Amino acid sequence: MARFSLRWRVAVALGFGSLLLTSALALVVWNLTTGYMLRQREQSAVRQAEVNARLVDESLHSGSNGLDELLTGLTTGPDSTILLLRPGEVLTSGREVDVDALPRPVLDVGGAPSRGRLVVGGVSVLVVTLPIPSAQGVYVELVPLVQLERTFGFLNAALVMGVLCSGLLGLGLGSWAGRRALRPLSELTRAASRIAGGDLRARLPEQTDPDLAHLATTFNATAAALQRRVLKDARFAGDVSHELRSPLTTMVNAAEVLHRRRAEVPGTAGKALDLLTSEVDRFARMVVDLLEISRDQQVDDAPPEPIDLAALVRNVVSARPGPSVPVEVTASPQVLGDRRRLDRVVSNLLDNAERHAGGAVRVAVLSRKGLAGDGLARLEVDDAGPGVPADLRDRIFDRFDRGARAGSRGADTGSGLGLALVAQHVQRHRGAAWVEGRPGGGARFVVEIPETTA
Amino acid sequence: MDFSVLLVEDDEHIRQALGLALGDEGFAVTDAVSGEAALELLSADGFDVVLLDLMLPGVDGLEVCRTLRAGGDLPIIIVTARTDAADVIAGLEAGADDYVTKPLVASVLAARIRALLRRTGTGRDDEVLRRGDLDIRPDVGTVHRDGVQVHLTSTEFRLLVELAAAAGRIVTREQLLRRVWGYDYFGDTRLLDVHIRRLRRKVERDPDDPTLIVTVRGSGYRMDR
Repeated sequence: MARFSLRWRVAVALGFGSLLLTSALALVVWNLTTGYMLRQREQSAVRQAEVNARLVDESLHSGSNGLDELLTGLTTGPDSTILLLRPGEVLTSGREVDVDALPRPVLDVGGAPSRGRLVVGGVSVLVVTLPIPSAQGVYVELVPLVQLERTFGFLNAALVMGVLCSGLLGLGLGSWAGRRALRPLSELTRAASRIAGGDLRARLPEQTDPDLAHLATTFNATAAALQRRVLKDARFAGDVSHELRSPLTTMVNAAEVLHRRRAEVPGTAGKALDLLTSEVDRFARMVVDLLEISRDQQVDDAPPEPIDLAALVRNVVSARPGPSVPVEVTASPQVLGDRRRLDRVVSNLLDNAERHAGGAVRVAVLSRKGLAGDGLARLEVDDAGPGVPADLRDRIFDRFDRGARAGSRGADTGSGLGLALVAQHVQRHRGAAWVEGRPGGGARFVVEIPETTA
Repeated sequence: MDFSVLLVEDDEHIRQALGLALGDEGFAVTDAVSGEAALELLSADGFDVVLLDLMLPGVDGLEVCRTLRAGGDLPIIIVTARTDAADVIAGLEAGADDYVTKPLVASVLAARIRALLRRTGTGRDDEVLRRGDLDIRPDVGTVHRDGVQVHLTSTEFRLLVELAAAAGRIVTREQLLRRVWGYDYFGDTRLLDVHIRRLRRKVERDPDDPTLIVTVRGSGYRMDR
C-alpha cells in the first residue's frame, strides 16, 4: 500500500487535531453542565424531602391519624414516590414502586440521612433517605430524573455531533489547504513533465507569493537555458551534417569513378584503391547513420499514423535485392508510428542478419497480449548464424558495439550503428527490441511495439 | 540513352566528382555554379533534367525551382545536404519532382533520373479516363476539366493516371512510389504526400476537402470512377 499523499496527511492531521480539541472541550462542557444540573436537582430534592420529612415527623409526633392524606398531600414532583418505613409497616404514596426491589441499605430503618441514585423499574431516580426520629422510621423519597436525563441525552447528542462535525470540517479544511498549498507544486510538476516530454517552451506562471517566486524564476531560467542549449545543439548538428555530407558526396562519387576504372590501375596501387573505395563506402554509411542517430533527438517527425506492420515488413522485404525471405504473418497488427523509422528498423535487422549470419531465414509478424492485457505487435527476424552469446545480448544494441566480432572487422561490417538505430527507433514507438536464441540455433531479433486500436 | 543533365551545384569538388560519375553512367552533364548561371543556361532549351542544390549563393535553389516550374515542366531533382523535413517539403512544394540527400551515389541518382524520364506506360491508345469532371488522356498526356486543359507536370500526370487507372481500388503509397518514381524505396512518404497535395490543388474544386483523390487512412489513396 502506498503511503498517503502529503495532502491527505495534512488533512488527516488537521481533522484529528480538531477532533481532539473539540472532544476535550465537549468533555469539559459535559462534566461541568451535568454536574451542575445534577447538584441543583439534588439540592432542591433534598430540601423538599427535608421539609416533607419534618411535616411527617411532626404529624407522627402529634399522633394525628391523617398520615395517608398527609403523604398524598406532600409537595413532590409529579412522578415522585414517597415511602414511609416504620418497623413492621411500609406506607407508600405517589408513583407505584416495588418496595422489595429496592436495595436493603435504602430501607435500613436505623440509617443515617443519605442520598444517592438508583435505577428503579427502568427509571433512573434520586433517592433521598431521612430518618424520622419520633417513629424510629425512615422517610424515603424517590425523585425520578427522566426530565434531566432527557436533557442530558440531548446535550450528549449535540456535543457528539459537534465533535464529529468539527473533525470532518478539519479534514475538509486540511484537504483544501493542502491542495491550495500544493497547487504551485502541481503546476511545477506539469511544467517539468512537459519539458521531460520534449516541450522546452514550458514555463511556470509568474508567482506573487514570495515563497514561490524564487522557485518559479529559477525553474524558468533553467528551462530557458536548456532550450537555448538544445537549439544551439540542433543548429550545430545541422551544420555538422552539412559540412560532412558535402565532402562525402565528392568522395563516394570519385570512388565510384575509380571503382569503375579499377582495371586501369594494376598492382599495389590497385589494391590500395580497393581498400580506399570500400572504406569510403563504409565511412559514408557510418557518417549517415551517426548523423541520423544524433539528430534524432530534435527531429520533428510527421504526425504518427496507423501502420499495418505486416504490410510494411512485406514491402521492405520485397524491396531488397537478392533472394527474398518469406514473411510469416499470423496477425495484422496496427501500430501508430512513423513509416520511415519502422522501415529502417526492419531493413537494419535484415542487414544485420545478412552481414553476420548469412541472411535472415525467417521473418514473422505476430500479435500477442502484453502483461496489462494490451496488444503488442511483434516482429521476429531469425537467422541461422552463430547466434549471440547471452552476455553480449544487451550490449549489441549499444553504439559501435560489434559484439563478438569486435577486433575482427571483415570487409563489410556496417557502421556499427544499425542495431543502435533499431533500439532508438523502437524506443521512440514505446516498444522494446532484444535478441534471444533461436530454437535450433542462430539468433532471433525481436521487436515489440504497442498496438493501436484506432 | 543519352540524357542531358544540368547540374547546379556551388561546391566545385562535388560538381566535378558528380559530373564524372554521371558521365560514366551515360549522361551528358553541364555544370552551373549558381542560380543565375542555371537560369541563364535553362533559358535555352535542351536539358532533360535539372539536378539542383538547394543552398546556392545568390538566387537560391528554391527560387530557381519556382522560376523553372512557372515556365514549364522540366523535371527537377533536388540534391540537398539538409535532411530536415521542412527543407525537403519546401523544395517539393516549389515544384521539384524528386529529391535525394547527400551523400548520394551517382548510380542511385542515375536510376532516379531514368525513372523520372521514363514514358508513362499506363493506358491504351485513344483511351479517355473520365473521373468526376476530369477527362484524362494518357496517350497524349492531357487533362481537361469541363473542356479546359489543366496543366500538370509529367510526374503529377503519371500520379493522376496511376490513381485513375486503379478504377476505384485503393492504391497503396508503396505502389504509387514504385510506379511513379519507378524504384523500390520506402519510408519517406513526404515525396508522395507533397505531390498528392500539389495534384489536389490543380484538379480538386476544393483542395482542402478533396472529393476526387480520397485519402484512405493507413493504406493509401483512392480515386472513384
